[in-house]
Amino acid sequence: MDKDGASLLPRRTTRSLASASSSVPDAKVNSLGPLTIDDLLVGGDPISLDGLISSFPGRSSQIHQILHLLGPLNSPILPLFVYGGSSTGKTSIVLQLFRHLNRPLVYSSCRTCYNQRILFESILSQLLLHRRNASNGYSNAKRCERPSDFVNCLRDALTNVINNLKEKSETQRGIGNMVYLVFDNFQLVREWDKSSTILPLLFNLHDLLKMPEVGLIFISSTSPDTFYSNMGYVEPIPVYFPDYTDGDIRQILLRNQPNQNLYSSFLKVALSHFCRMTRQVDELSTALKPLYDKYCEPLKNKEVIPTGDMKRKLFTLLVETREETKQKGNHNNLKHFEEIGELDFHMSTSAKYLLISAFLASRNPATLDASLFDAKGGSDNRKRKRKASEKVLEKKETLEEELLMKGPGSFPLERLLAIFQCLVSVAEEPYDEEEQTHDGLGVQGGNGGLMNNVLLQLSSLCNANFIYKGRSCPIEGAMRYRSTISEDLALKVARSLKFPLSKYLYRR
Amino acid sequence: METWEENHKTKALNLLRTRICDPKFMFKPLYDSPDSNFSKLKFMISSSVTEACNNSILLLGPRGSGKTEVLDLVIQDLFLEYPDSISMIRLNGLLHFDDISAFKEIARQLCMEHELLFSKTASFDDNSQFMVAMLKECGLAHKTVIFILDEFDLFAQGKQRLLYTLLDAMQSITSQAVVLGISCRLDADQLLEKRVRSRFSHRKLIFLPPSVEDTQRLLAHVLTLPMGPSFPHEYAIEFNSKVQKILEDKRLKETLNKHLSFDSSVKHLLRFLFCAISHMDLQTGFLSRENFETAFSSIHRQPKLECIRNCSILELYILVCMKRLEFKEQSLCNFHSVMKEYKSIHDSFQNNDYYARNVCLRAFEHLIDRELICFTDNRGHSLSVEYRPVKLLISPTELHQGLRAYQSCPVSRPIEQSYCYFVYVPHYEIRMPLISVQAFHCVFGLFFHFWVYFVCYFFQSLLWEHIIIY
Repeated sequence: MDKDGASLLPRRTTRSLASASSSVPDAKVNSLGPLTIDDLLVGGDPISLDGLISSFPGRSSQIHQILHLLGPLNSPILPLFVYGGSSTGKTSIVLQLFRHLNRPLVYSSCRTCYNQRILFESILSQLLLHRRNASNGYSNAKRCERPSDFVNCLRDALTNVINNLKEKSETQRGIGNMVYLVFDNFQLVREWDKSSTILPLLFNLHDLLKMPEVGLIFISSTSPDTFYSNMGYVEPIPVYFPDYTDGDIRQILLRNQPNQNLYSSFLKVALSHFCRMTRQVDELSTALKPLYDKYCEPLKNKEVIPTGDMKRKLFTLLVETREETKQKGNHNNLKHFEEIGELDFHMSTSAKYLLISAFLASRNPATLDASLFDAKGGSDNRKRKRKASEKVLEKKETLEEELLMKGPGSFPLERLLAIFQCLVSVAEEPYDEEEQTHDGLGVQGGNGGLMNNVLLQLSSLCNANFIYKGRSCPIEGAMRYRSTISEDLALKVARSLKFPLSKYLYRR
Repeated sequence: METWEENHKTKALNLLRTRICDPKFMFKPLYDSPDSNFSKLKFMISSSVTEACNNSILLLGPRGSGKTEVLDLVIQDLFLEYPDSISMIRLNGLLHFDDISAFKEIARQLCMEHELLFSKTASFDDNSQFMVAMLKECGLAHKTVIFILDEFDLFAQGKQRLLYTLLDAMQSITSQAVVLGISCRLDADQLLEKRVRSRFSHRKLIFLPPSVEDTQRLLAHVLTLPMGPSFPHEYAIEFNSKVQKILEDKRLKETLNKHLSFDSSVKHLLRFLFCAISHMDLQTGFLSRENFETAFSSIHRQPKLECIRNCSILELYILVCMKRLEFKEQSLCNFHSVMKEYKSIHDSFQNNDYYARNVCLRAFEHLIDRELICFTDNRGHSLSVEYRPVKLLISPTELHQGLRAYQSCPVSRPIEQSYCYFVYVPHYEIRMPLISVQAFHCVFGLFFHFWVYFVCYFFQSLLWEHIIIY
């Protein structure tokens, strides 16, 4: 659409509209994957309303609602607040609607513009038709930090743009003289440093500017009631995007599939199960993809149209694999490293020992260190074999609960090093036990290569977020650490070292 | 012929939308009587312009009651009457809450007004001296400077140097200025320091939401099309008669009452009208009562219930687990304790919805994203998500209603079974240590749901006006 309009415009305006309404949606659309209609976008054709609705299954009422609220050409608008859960198509629908309507918009995402200054400068740069390049040192059009400067600059820039648009709409119909400012990911603003001033400012921007030609659209994943603050504002008009229903999800997932029949028979067996866990399309599509590959594995020809019998066979195969994956627990593309498995990341042996010792230091109470590491790796103490009384049991329960609540404990560096030394000496040189001392700082270079560069290893483990480095303790003044790894991971690491970790774990 | 028809329908829609978005138009009919705020304010300002004296006035009232708009109307009139003897400085507490930027802005606007060269690099001291000197000059030239301080309460934070300098400069005999403070805090003058308060003339104008009759008048004023050449005569007549009919409809009055019982300010009414008008059918070109009904339902949402409706079954399980823990008076819970509860539910009800721990963790994170639960600490990254304590942000009634309304929930029975013996817990609110908005939810959680939202909304507006504080 912009290419058609471009030739009729003075040069500066082309840039503005090209950057304001076409380049931004393009970039956005590419990242959203299967939901988009980027084939139409690349051609730059205007989208008909029907095309728009058909490309977003289950969203026609929302599209109509926004369309109604935006109104006909040149009609002023009160601020809109578009909200709904993640991956419900808020941003893409708003942007595609503007493509359909062929109206200029300034899009800024509060995720990429992660603080007040960057947000202000990005909006101004877009409005001032500024493009960052080598000649201006990739700087923004204006430096603007204070809200007061921003509103002044914004008013100037907007008047300029609106005047340009008015001139333009005399020659070319259909553009109108409205400019829309779209703030995406608006919920993130609440976590900014100066959120208590910037939020009321943005919500009140419409009243502050007093320009009927400016429309504001906020897109947020949380509802308007989560934005209440001490400062009031007149609430924007809410537009709600509910999560997709199962039927909608099926339609969305079916789009862009080469073999519709096969995929729909796959969805019939797989989707309902997954929908019980999550209804977010992006997660579902990534989770279903490997499963679909599994489903198709027995088929030689991917173009085949499934018959009833074949469906049944595939289904039983799928159920088997599903049970497998269920046991492994990784069918919901969790990014956590536990699933990567023991062989999927590499670590030096000393780092592994350090990791284990950090885990032990976090898990075991410090008072038990002596008994665990003293003689022969702390063989099980006899106390526990005694029958526990009611009271002790109760105490144990509360302790357990406390542990669940508190999470891993923190420990000073000395304790970590002491445990590390013990572990290393037990594993490597079981014969020189007499050298072990209780004071952990006795690292006298006696026990070989593993003790080298421990601090370096520690800092790299900290950087990898396996060990959390806390603030220094106000009383002792020393830095305290905390291990963040789960027991499973610790056990895996121990297994790779053939280290009997469970022997050293204190069980309550 | 057809396009002409389409055109004038669109034009009517555009006219209505322009009216609603132009607040000045809205407030005109409300303020034509002699004892209205409009006439009072106009009298006060014009007398200080003609008599060359200083004045300071506070305009107070809830948000959206038209303080700024009425002031704008007054200023507009005064500019027509005394074009040469007024100059206006506008500040906003949201933008100029610190003294440096406030003085800079004053200097900038004074320079613009008097065609002087504004120096961006001028210091705070330069700017304040410049302002005092300009005030003196304006006084000598018999020109009244009107300072409009929007969000006045925000200027009263900190040392109040701006207010002090302004009001102190007004004590001198040569100056001629009017300071107008606009605030939604009714106690705005109590926020002032002693040295400022003593220099402030305690004139206050209170703006109240319009009465029911005024609202009706306003509606008619907004929605009727003008008779004249801009619209075809028959169309305008029919449009206006339909609007008249709608406005007299009992059901509409009911809807309107319901809407205004949340907040009866004009701005709130305008939101509603805007929504209704934007749903106008362009085929027929007339408003209908259904438009208003749609607008009502689209404005008044129940976000927490919607959130619950969006949850997957697993997420519902986690919510119910947390609720059960709350019922057991376990004051703190985190992911691990929720999982323990989840397992016990699974053990006692034998459903097949038992998922692996990491799947649950993901669902747990979704709930945090949806803001149905939140972390109670703000320690950030010191602990992993599993160990950080969380709390529920919905009341038992909301959860119960959400579960009831949950469509296609095949396991709603076990969930509800596991749920039902803690729905009606008396004295639930006693366990809340701090009053928060959430606690407020809970206190009124046993009432009818609609009223919960009403109460919350009301609570919020009380907060804005600082009648209660956190």
